[in-house]
Amino acid sequence: MEGNGELFQGDEKMNTSYARCIILPGSLAIFVAVWWAIAAAVNNSREIVGPYQTGTAFVSLFTDPPLTRLMAAGLQVTMTSILLGFALAAVVGVPIGVLMGRYLIVDLFCDPWVNIWYSIPAIAFVPLAMNWTGVSATSSVLIAFLITVFTIIINVYGGVKNISGSLVDCGVAYGATQTQIMTKIILPATLPNIMVGLRLGISRAIEGVIIAEMVFTVVGIGGLMDDAADNLQLALSGALIIVLAIISLSLAEVMKFITRRAVAWKESQAMIRE
Amino acid sequence: MKSSRTMSFSTRFGVFWASLGLFFVLWEVAALSTGNSLILVGPVPVLQALIALLQNHLPRGALGIQGADAAILQTLATIVFGFVLACVVGIPIGLIMGRWKKAETLIDPWLSAAYSIPIVILIPMLYFAIGADFFAEVFVTFLLTVFTIIVNTHHGVKYVSSALAEVGKSYGASETQFLAKIILPASMPDIISGMRIGMGRAILAAVLAEVLMSGNGLGGMMMTFQDVLNTPYMMAAVFLIGLMGIAVLQLPKILEHRLFRWKETESFSREMRR
Repeated sequence: MEGNGELFQGDEKMNTSYARCIILPGSLAIFVAVWWAIAAAVNNSREIVGPYQTGTAFVSLFTDPPLTRLMAAGLQVTMTSILLGFALAAVVGVPIGVLMGRYLIVDLFCDPWVNIWYSIPAIAFVPLAMNWTGVSATSSVLIAFLITVFTIIINVYGGVKNISGSLVDCGVAYGATQTQIMTKIILPATLPNIMVGLRLGISRAIEGVIIAEMVFTVVGIGGLMDDAADNLQLALSGALIIVLAIISLSLAEVMKFITRRAVAWKESQAMIRE
Repeated sequence: MKSSRTMSFSTRFGVFWASLGLFFVLWEVAALSTGNSLILVGPVPVLQALIALLQNHLPRGALGIQGADAAILQTLATIVFGFVLACVVGIPIGLIMGRWKKAETLIDPWLSAAYSIPIVILIPMLYFAIGADFFAEVFVTFLLTVFTIIVNTHHGVKYVSSALAEVGKSYGASETQFLAKIILPASMPDIISGMRIGMGRAILAAVLAEVLMSGNGLGGMMMTFQDVLNTPYMMAAVFLIGLMGIAVLQLPKILEHRLFRWKETESFSREMRR
């Protein structure tokens, strides 16, 4: 809590565990019911398939050996592309962001380019990557890297820029060297922003890889899904969408967990002061 | 470091142009060393192609695409319709979620799920469900934009400074007055920044929908040039899309700076207190 309370109309308090037990399954049930109703109303398996067929296709992804092999291969390519592109972007982006926030000359030199590249929609990188590295997983990695790295740079840069001057002044007054200021003051103070950048980054990396795979149509889960839809196997396509949704939800949860662990001290500190 | 904080204007200017120049030099060198016009062409042919495109000259061989003016108009129309629809739907939902706890508990799980799943994976399915015409593209744009706008509006409304709200309450403001005179103005910067991020998503969505669905507009144009291996024109189309992204993301930033100076100073002073 940051001194600003949550403003709600009246005093409607709700037990959160109660809400979790009732509302989540409830809204999921409503979703499936609406989906089923629409599918039943349209009644055309070439336009939309219902939850039952999609569920069957989802189960067959794990019980039908050829399908399982296909999915496992696609999954491997997709996950590798996401994680590799993301890791590269983090390794490149965090140092650049710190340097830009700390040294004005680096800031002036990089800022226009970071802003320009950040503003370019991911899809514009797809044909360029196709030219450079072909229709392959390498292209997916390249696209994931390109659309993730600028998000990370911008967040880290903002964090370093906004470090309270009194922290750095304190270090300078006690005679800290540049290295000490960097590792003992700047980096810990920026950690929350770095984590935000990484969390936004992973969702952008997922999106980038899937966009690339859907356009390429021959690699990864995105390609399988697009291919299945093109062959009018909409149930299979829907099942693969569920697989992708589970992957991206769990990656988001993992990042949330890591963030909570990494910046736990920051939150508890704020709580004590409160 | 200390002296670089007070760099003169001419130095800043020089660094900016040096960085710009270096980019074009690197591009030209990369193009020359590749020596394959199918992979990468230098800046000169791309600029020539860009000028030709803007004068509505299409190269021979690229069949079945609109002229550049029609393509730009179509893409812009998709972006604007999808974006406005997303604002009209998203801002009220965000407002309601920020004000009423029950609504928040109901909608929040959906929102966070929709926010961490890359919605682009639905495009191949939507293609079969709603077709590939203009309205389908507007719908895709809406779908990719609306959650960003809801999340930002929700956040802005929820964390309106309690000092502001208490003044309103103690002077007996009615709910309408409270919403219109306190909540909306105070959360406007968050709403605007949501709209800005949403606009970036709308461009991505519109172009992606064109690539994957209809093959019209700038996205279709880009992929057509890619298919016929006309790299200069493909890169010119990429440039157009990139320029659109930059214009749309940088203009509101300047506007925001002008309109919300007061907000910035407030958040700045809060920062100092912490």
